[in-house]
Amino acid sequence: MTPDALVFSAIMLGLFVLAGGSYGVLYGAGRIWRRPQLIKTGFACYGIQVLVTLAIVALTPLSIMWKVFILLSCFAYALIPPATWRYLERLHHTEGKTT
Amino acid sequence: MYRSQKLALRYFTASATLFGVMVIAGLLSATYYVFPHFLFGIFNFNMSKILHIDTLIIWLLMGFFGSVYWFLPKELNRELEGIRLGEIMFWVFCAAVAVVAAIFIFVQYGPGDETSLWLINQGRKYVEAPRWAAIGIVLIVLTFAYNVIGTAIKARRMTGILWVLILDLIPLTLLYLDAFPAQTNISHDLYWWWWLVHMWVEATWEVLIGCIMAWALMELLGTSRRIVETWLYIEVMLVLGTGILGLGHHYFWIGTPRYWLSIGGFFSALEPLPLLGMVVHAIYDAGTHHMQTTNKPAFYWLLAEAFGNFIGAGVWGFMMTLPQINLYSHGTQWTVSHGHFAFWGAYACGVIAVFYLAAQRSRGLNMVDNRSWKWGFGLLNFGMVGMVGALLIAGIAQAFFERAEGGSTLQAFVVAQSNPWFEMGMYSRLAFGFIFAAGYTVLMYDLLTVGKRAPAVAAQSVAA
Repeated sequence: MTPDALVFSAIMLGLFVLAGGSYGVLYGAGRIWRRPQLIKTGFACYGIQVLVTLAIVALTPLSIMWKVFILLSCFAYALIPPATWRYLERLHHTEGKTT
Repeated sequence: MYRSQKLALRYFTASATLFGVMVIAGLLSATYYVFPHFLFGIFNFNMSKILHIDTLIIWLLMGFFGSVYWFLPKELNRELEGIRLGEIMFWVFCAAVAVVAAIFIFVQYGPGDETSLWLINQGRKYVEAPRWAAIGIVLIVLTFAYNVIGTAIKARRMTGILWVLILDLIPLTLLYLDAFPAQTNISHDLYWWWWLVHMWVEATWEVLIGCIMAWALMELLGTSRRIVETWLYIEVMLVLGTGILGLGHHYFWIGTPRYWLSIGGFFSALEPLPLLGMVVHAIYDAGTHHMQTTNKPAFYWLLAEAFGNFIGAGVWGFMMTLPQINLYSHGTQWTVSHGHFAFWGAYACGVIAVFYLAAQRSRGLNMVDNRSWKWGFGLLNFGMVGMVGALLIAGIAQAFFERAEGGSTLQAFVVAQSNPWFEMGMYSRLAFGFIFAAGYTVLMYDLLTVGKRAPAVAAQSVAA
C-alpha cells in the first residue's frame, strides 16, 4: 500500500463509521423529539455513508474480502437505528402494560 | 447507609486519587516527548509511562469495585457477606498500590533475575507490578468475588444483572492469573499476555461496566429492571461476540500465525455495530426523560459514555483495525490516540457518572446541578478530544513517513520523530493535556464540595 493510499483508506474507514453514527444519532433524535427534519438529515448522513462505501470499494487498495465486508456493513448500518428503535418502543410499550 | 456503601465511598476516593496520579504521570510522559532531556537519569520516561498506564488500570478497577459495592446492597436489600474482609482488602489494596508506586519511583528496575520479578517489576506492560503485588491483586479480586457471590447466596435472590456479573467474575479472575509470566519465548509470552490485556479491556470489563451502567440507569432514570436487563443481555452477547476474537487485531509483529490478522480484523470491524445500537438506546432514554433528571452531571457523563465509546472505540478503532492499515499503524501514536479515546468513552465516563450518583445519595441531595460540574465536564472532554486529535495526527505522520514510506528502518524512525506533523502533534497533545488536568481539578473540586457550598443546592438537600 502506498503512503497516500494508507492515509486515504484510513480516513475513508473512519468517515464510514462516523457517517453511520451520525445517521443513528439524528434518526433517534428526530424520532424522540418528533422532528422530521432531523430524520431527513439522518438519512442524508446515511447517503454520505453509501458514497463513502462506494469510494472505499472503488478507490482503496483493500482486498476484495474487506470491500465485500464494508458493503454488507453498510446495509447493516441502514437497519440498526430503525430496528433498535422499534425494539425499544415495543419493550417500553410492553413494560408500560405490565406495570 | 450500608457498610458496603461506605466502603464504596472509600474506593471512589482512592480511585479518584489514582485518576489524579495518572493525569500527572501522563503530563510528565507527554513532556518527555517535547523535552527529551527532562529529568533524564532521575526519573526516566519508562517509569512515568508505567505509572501512567498502571494507574489507569487500577483507578478504573477501583471505580468498578466501588460501583458494585455501592449498588449491590440496594439490589439485594442486605449488607454484603464478608464485608469485614472486603474492608481489610481495601486497605491491603491501597497499601500495595502505594508500595508498588514507591518502588516504581525510587527503585525502578533491577537485575534480570527472579528477585527482580518478585520484588521490583515483572516487566510486562500494564501488569508490571512485582509478583508479590500481583498475588495481592488476585486475593483482592477473589475477596470481591466472594463478597458478590456470597451475598447473592445468602440473600437467596438472583437478578439478571447479578447473574451476568457473577459469570463475568470467573474470566475476570482467571485471566489475571496470566499476569504471572511463565514463558521465556517472547512470541509465546506476548501471545498469552494479550489474552489478559485484551480479554479484560474488550470483554470482561465491557460486561462489568454494562452491569454497573444497568444499575446506574435504574437509579438515575428509574428505567425498569426488565428493560435494562433485556438490553444488557443483548449488549453482552454482541460485545462478547465481536470482542473476544477481536483479540487478533493485536497480533501484529510478534510472530503469531497469519490467520489471526484476518480473524482479528473481521471481528473487531464488527464492534461498532453494537455500539451504534447503544447510542440509539442512549438517545431514546435521554429523550423519554426530556433530558431532565435530578442528577445532571451523572446524566451527562452517562451520555458521554455512550457517545465516547462509539467514537473512541468505534470510529477511531475502525479507522485502523483492518489488517492492511493495522500493519502500518500498529504501535504508533495512532494506536495511543485510539486507546485514550476508547478507555475514556468506554470506562472513565461511566465511573465518573457513578461518582456523582454516590455523591448525591451519600449527601442526601434532591438535586445535583451547578456551574462547576459543567466546567469539569467541558474541560475534561475538550482536553481529551484535543489530545486524541493531536495524537492521531502524530500517529498518521508516523505511519506515513516511518512505516509506509520509510520501510520501518531506524533511519525512518528518526526522520519521522523530527517530522513537523509529528512534533506539532506532540506539542498539541501536551497543551491539551494541561486542559485535561485543569478539568480534573475542577471535577475533584466539584465532587468534594457538591451539596456543601451553594446555599441553593444545600437548601434542596433531604437532610435540610
